[in-house]
Amino acid sequence: MDHKKLLELALGKGGDFADLYLEQSLFHEIILRDGKVNAAGTNSEGGLGIRVIKGQNTGYAYTESSLASDREKAARTASYIADGTVASTGQASITTLNLPDRYPILTPWDSFSPQEKMPYLYELNDLIFSADKRVKKVTARLADSTSQIAYYNSLGIHCSDIRPLASLTVSCIMEEYGRRETASASRSFRKGAEFLNPHLIRELAGEAVARTAFLFGAGQPQGGELPVVMSAGSSGILLHEAIGHAFEADFVRKNTSIFSDKMGQRICHPGITVVDDGTIPGNRGALNVDDEGVPGQKTYMVTDGILTSFLHDRISARYFNVSPTGNGRRESFRYMPLPRMRATYMENGTETAESLIASVKKGLYVDTFSNGQVQIGAGDFTFYVKSGYLIENGKLTQPVKDTNIIGNGPRALGMITGVANDCRIDNGTWTCGKEQSCEVSCGMPSVLISSLTVGGRL
Amino acid sequence: MNEKEWLEQTCRYALESSLRKGAGQVRVSALRDVSNGLTVLNDSLEKIQSAVESSLMIQLFTDGRYGSCATNRTDPALIDQLIDQALDSVRLLAPDPCRTLVPAALRYDGPPSKMACNGEISTEAKKTLLSECADGVFGKEPLLISVTVDYADYKRRTQIMDSTGLNRSSEETWYSLTAECAVKGEGDTRPSDWEYSGGFHPEAVGIGSGIPSGCAIRALQRALAKRNPVKIRSGRYPAIVENRVASTLLGPVIQAVSGSSLQQQDSFLLGRLGQTVASPVLTLIDDPHKKGEPGYRLFDHEGMATVRRTVFENGRLNMYFINTYYANKLQMQPTISSPSLLTLPGGKGNAGSLAGSLKNGIFVTGFNGGNCNTATGDFSYGIEGFRVENGQITNPVNEMVMTGNMLDLWEKLLATGDDALKTTAWQIPSLLFDNIEFAGL
Repeated sequence: MDHKKLLELALGKGGDFADLYLEQSLFHEIILRDGKVNAAGTNSEGGLGIRVIKGQNTGYAYTESSLASDREKAARTASYIADGTVASTGQASITTLNLPDRYPILTPWDSFSPQEKMPYLYELNDLIFSADKRVKKVTARLADSTSQIAYYNSLGIHCSDIRPLASLTVSCIMEEYGRRETASASRSFRKGAEFLNPHLIRELAGEAVARTAFLFGAGQPQGGELPVVMSAGSSGILLHEAIGHAFEADFVRKNTSIFSDKMGQRICHPGITVVDDGTIPGNRGALNVDDEGVPGQKTYMVTDGILTSFLHDRISARYFNVSPTGNGRRESFRYMPLPRMRATYMENGTETAESLIASVKKGLYVDTFSNGQVQIGAGDFTFYVKSGYLIENGKLTQPVKDTNIIGNGPRALGMITGVANDCRIDNGTWTCGKEQSCEVSCGMPSVLISSLTVGGRL
Repeated sequence: MNEKEWLEQTCRYALESSLRKGAGQVRVSALRDVSNGLTVLNDSLEKIQSAVESSLMIQLFTDGRYGSCATNRTDPALIDQLIDQALDSVRLLAPDPCRTLVPAALRYDGPPSKMACNGEISTEAKKTLLSECADGVFGKEPLLISVTVDYADYKRRTQIMDSTGLNRSSEETWYSLTAECAVKGEGDTRPSDWEYSGGFHPEAVGIGSGIPSGCAIRALQRALAKRNPVKIRSGRYPAIVENRVASTLLGPVIQAVSGSSLQQQDSFLLGRLGQTVASPVLTLIDDPHKKGEPGYRLFDHEGMATVRRTVFENGRLNMYFINTYYANKLQMQPTISSPSLLTLPGGKGNAGSLAGSLKNGIFVTGFNGGNCNTATGDFSYGIEGFRVENGQITNPVNEMVMTGNMLDLWEKLLATGDDALKTTAWQIPSLLFDNIEFAGL
C-alpha cells in the first residue's frame, strides 16, 4: 500500500489531519448445543478506513478492495470534509512506534484446530450436567479472533498491532417442578489458544450451575429507594454507565454530558479513585495502541474524589488542548474512531465487604448483572441485576433476581459512602454498544451507595 | 458487469466451488451495500461518510454436518481457500441431521423482490436538507445546547442461491433523517430527545419537497418537555406506552415464540401454542407484503417464502416463528425464521386520546435499560415519561422502574391506538395497560 500517496490524496482539499487504518481479521466459532459440537463458523474480512479531520469535523470512507484505484477513490471521498482547493502541506517523515506487547500469543488460534477446541466444550457440558440433576439444556460458544492492524497518519506516525480475542460463553437451563430458570457465565481475554485450560472450564461450569440454581429460591424484590451494596467485580458496570460514558470527551466537547463543566471539581467523596486502563495484560479491554496511533495507557478519571481527566480521542484532545488518552477506538475499519472506554474500575478503599453489609439496616446486595444503559445529558443510568440478596439488619437474607436499578450519575457518585479493599476485575464478555460494538471490561471493589431506585414488586 | 450480475456470478462461483470440493448441499448469499451519511452539528457539517461494502456467506451441509464461512473478500482464490478451511472444520463436527435446506414446497420461487428507488442525490442536496432542518431550531431557542441532524441512505442488493435450485434476489433503498436536540435542564442536566423520519424513497425525508424537515423542531419540543422531571411515589398505575417505544415490550414475546428459545426450553411461552395468553385486545399480524413499508420481504434469509400470518388473535397464541432447523429439531412444521412487518390492528386514537380516560397514570415515552428473564418472563425496565392526571399529560417523570411479568403485562392490555409509525418494521401503536408496578419514591 502506498500510504504516502493515499495520505496526500486525503489531504488534497485542505484537511488538517488524515489517517489510514488497515485491518485484516479472522474469526472462528464453534457451538455446542444439545450435547454436541455441531456448528462451526469462520469469517475472514479486511479493509482500509481513511479519515480526514478538518477542525472538529470528520470525513470518513472505507474500502474492502485492495486495488490502488479503489483506495485512492476512498481517500478522495474522505477529503471532501474540507472544502478548500489547496492541498495541505506534505507529511512528516514516518516514525514507527515501539509498543509493549500486552497480549502475547503463545498458541496462535490459526494453528489450533476445531478438533483441539471441541474437548473443552464437551468437558464443560459434562461438568454442568453432572453437577445438578435439574439441568435440561446447555449451550456453549467458543469464539476467537485475531486482528492485524496497520496504521499511518499525516503526523508521520506508523504502528502495527496484532490483537487476539477469545471468548467462552455458556448458558444453562434448569427445570424444577415445571418451573425453568436460565443463567449464563463467560470469560474473555486477549489471548491465544492458551486461553483454554481445565481450570477455566471448571470455573465456568461451577458459575453457570450456581447462578442458575440460585434463581429457584429468588424473587423480584420490593421496589423503591434503598441503600445498595454492590459486590466486587462486575459491579464495575456502575462506573461504565454512571460516569464512564459521560466522561467520553465527544459528549463533553459538544457540551451534552452532565459532567461537561466539572473538570477539576469534587464529584465524590475523598478516597474514591476511578481509572480507565488499557494496560492490563491480557485483559479484554487492553490495547498496545488505540485505533488512531496513540499508545495504550492508564487514565485517572477521578482522583481522590476530583474529576481529573476525560477520555479523549485525537479530536477532543485537540479541542481541549490536552494529550489524547488512547481512548480512540473503533469496531472495525468500517467505523471512524470515537472516545471509548477500555477496562474501567475503581481503586481499593479501606473497608471490607462485610462491614459495608453490616452497616445497612434494610437494603439490597447485588452481585451479577446482564446489561446497563445511560442517558448522557440527563445523567440517569440503569443496570440490570440478575442476582443478589436483601440486606436486613446487616445480614444477607432473601435471594433476589431480575430487577433493574436506576440512579442519576452525579448524585449516585456523591452517595458512595463506603469502598472496600477487595477490587476485582470482571473478565466476562462485556461489550459496549455506543454507536459501534467495542470490547471492554470493568471492575470494582465492594461499595455502598446510600440510595438507588430498585425496580420491584409492590 | 453490473452489480446484479456480479452478485449472481459470485454466488454461483461459491456454490459450484463448494460442491466441487465435496459439500453435500450448499446455500450461498451475497450482499452489496452502498451507503452514505452526513451529519450537521448546529450550523456546520460535522461528518461525511461513504462506503461500498460486499459480503459473501456460504453455508455448508455435508456428511450430515453443518458449518458456515463468510468473507468480504470475493476474489475466487480467497473464496476457495475459505471453503477448504471451512470444509475441513465441518468434517470434524458431530453430525446434526436437523440441518437441511428449505423444503422445495416452502421455498420462494417468485420474481425478484424490489423496494428501491433509482437515482442519485447530490451531496449538496443532502447538505441543504440537513442545514435547513437544523436551522429550524439553531439560534432560535435560548435553552438549546446543540442540535445534531444525521442523514443516511443505502442501496442494498442481495442474492441467495442453494444447491437445490433456489436463486432469488432482492433490492432495496432506504433514506433516513434523524435529529437530536439537547437543552439546558435543571442544575447540570442536559435532557435530550430525537425525532426520526425514513422511507425507501428520498421524499420520505423531504428531499425534493421544497419544505424543510420539521424533525429538529419536533426533537426540540420533546427535549424541552422533559426538563425538570420528578420522581413520583412507587405504586400501581395504568400506563400508556408511546408508539415509538412500544416494541420494547413486544420484543421478549417475539423472542419467546422463536424456534431457538422454544427448542432450548428457554421460553415463557413454551407449550402455550393455541392458548389464550394475553388480553383479547391483542391481535398481532405479521404482514410481510406491504410494499413500500419497512419489513417488506418476499423471502427470509433461508429463502423461505414469507406469508401473512396472525401471531396472536384476540389474545390467543396462533404461531411460533420456526425456521427449517428448529422445525426439524422440534418435529414441527416450519413457519418463518422471524417476523417481517408486525402490525397491531383494531385500535383507535393516539397516546393523548388514550390518556383522556385516565385519572392518575404514567405515560411512558422511553425505556432506560432493563431486561426480561427469557425463561420466566419476569422483567424490569427503567422508564422516562410523563404523569397523567385527570386525563391530561402533565409533568415529566424519570428515574423510575417498571417491573412485572410479561404474561401478566399482556393480560392487562386495555386498549391500543391506531398511531403506529410507518418508519419501523414493527408497527406497534401506543398501548394502554392497567395496573402496572412502578418503583419511584
